[in-house]
Amino acid sequence: MCGVVGSGGWRLVEGAHHRLAVEGTVGALRLEVALEIAAPWTVIFGPSGSGKSSLLRAMCGLLPGVEVAFARRDGDEWTALEAMQSSQRKLGYAPQQTTLFPHMSVRENVAFATSQRPRGRAAWKKAETVVDAALELFSLHLLEERLPGELSGGEGQRVNLARAFVVPGARLMLLDEPFSGVDRKLRDAMLPGMKAWLAELDLPVISVTHDVDEALLLGAEVVRLDQGQVMAQGAAAEVLAEERVRMLGNLG
Amino acid sequence: MDFPALGLTLRLAFVTTLVLLLVATPLAAWIAGGRGVARRVVQAAVALPLVLPPTVLGFYLLLGMSPRTAIGRVLIALLGHSLAFTFWGLVVGSVVYSMPFAVQPLVAGFAGVDRGLVETAGVLGAGHWTVFRKVVAPLAKMSFVTAGVLTFAHTVGEFGVVLMVGGDIPGITRTLSISIFDQVQDANYAAANRAAVWLVGLSFVALLVIYVRGGWKRGVAVG
Repeated sequence: MCGVVGSGGWRLVEGAHHRLAVEGTVGALRLEVALEIAAPWTVIFGPSGSGKSSLLRAMCGLLPGVEVAFARRDGDEWTALEAMQSSQRKLGYAPQQTTLFPHMSVRENVAFATSQRPRGRAAWKKAETVVDAALELFSLHLLEERLPGELSGGEGQRVNLARAFVVPGARLMLLDEPFSGVDRKLRDAMLPGMKAWLAELDLPVISVTHDVDEALLLGAEVVRLDQGQVMAQGAAAEVLAEERVRMLGNLG
Repeated sequence: MDFPALGLTLRLAFVTTLVLLLVATPLAAWIAGGRGVARRVVQAAVALPLVLPPTVLGFYLLLGMSPRTAIGRVLIALLGHSLAFTFWGLVVGSVVYSMPFAVQPLVAGFAGVDRGLVETAGVLGAGHWTVFRKVVAPLAKMSFVTAGVLTFAHTVGEFGVVLMVGGDIPGITRTLSISIFDQVQDANYAAANRAAVWLVGLSFVALLVIYVRGGWKRGVAVG
């Protein structure tokens, strides 16, 4: 047992904004991961059942019975997040399974995180503006009044993303298979806007995918996960070189 | 027809339902909120009135209100009089007696709300109270109706607890079911029948409310 949690054996990657160590068993999977995240967009890549979603859930505080160390850099200090309530961790989160609130309209779903506490009129107006911008970004303005039950899979997924994007004061965005069910054309059209939004807020992203194409397209830092272990971490073109060659071969 | 008894019965059922919804909602939310031995112990204790003879329950409540016990003495010191044989004594008895009818539907309703929704709402920054108010309660709203109607109907129909705790004081603790008992004792079957019809009608309407609303909800979901 190497003990990745609490060992203090961080590599101290320059510019790291979050770090995560997870050790334990989820179902039949043994998770043993220590990650330092420095890139603005990090993709956790791996086959299904490799523990990708579990890592996101660990960061959210939704993985009981597993040892987790999760910290965020604030200036020169590291703030431990693992003991905090989920609601205090300042996360934007778009989980994979459908978790839209079925009794709320698309607009109410997207605005969910902005309506936590009663605030002044100015703050309310600002929140409305943010919600409008998110609806626009994910091409949802024509669907505002619909209920989740009346949406297609791709539309629901866009609401899921928009809801995560408007979390006020978020410090990290966690997106689980963010483009599942969204057709590629729409995905490619939305991406620049999403990246601009995140850049403006200086908000880093950790997303999860099993899609090589998506990992390469995002041009992100890639963490390759297999059977609950990190196999490689680095630039997409390097870590996914093998898959890239194979994919190009298929094209040609 | 014993109209004071009918009025008293309705008043008792109304107050009991109100008090129980206030008490049972946080209790049910706690019971449904996780696993653990403590929650199961409380759940079993709350369900006890389902299986205990009402007279047993009434007997212990009466003891608890009497100056012979410590609890009773504290109550008497606080209130200036005993709760036994008063309207509020009946309310206390009814709240205990009908507790499972309020708590169980709420526990089932709260536990039936998708865990994923509750978890996601939390991660998105909502505290426990906000999650309950904006997600759990609206999605479990039918169980509030069920809990309310069952509590009301069950309180209207109670006999043993009311007799033990309240005695049979006209206008104060003589409810409709006790009035019927008295009339049968006096061989006044016609009067007993008139009162009994009221009880059958009230109970039937209450159950009808639950089933009609349930069917209507399903119809909407399908349409």
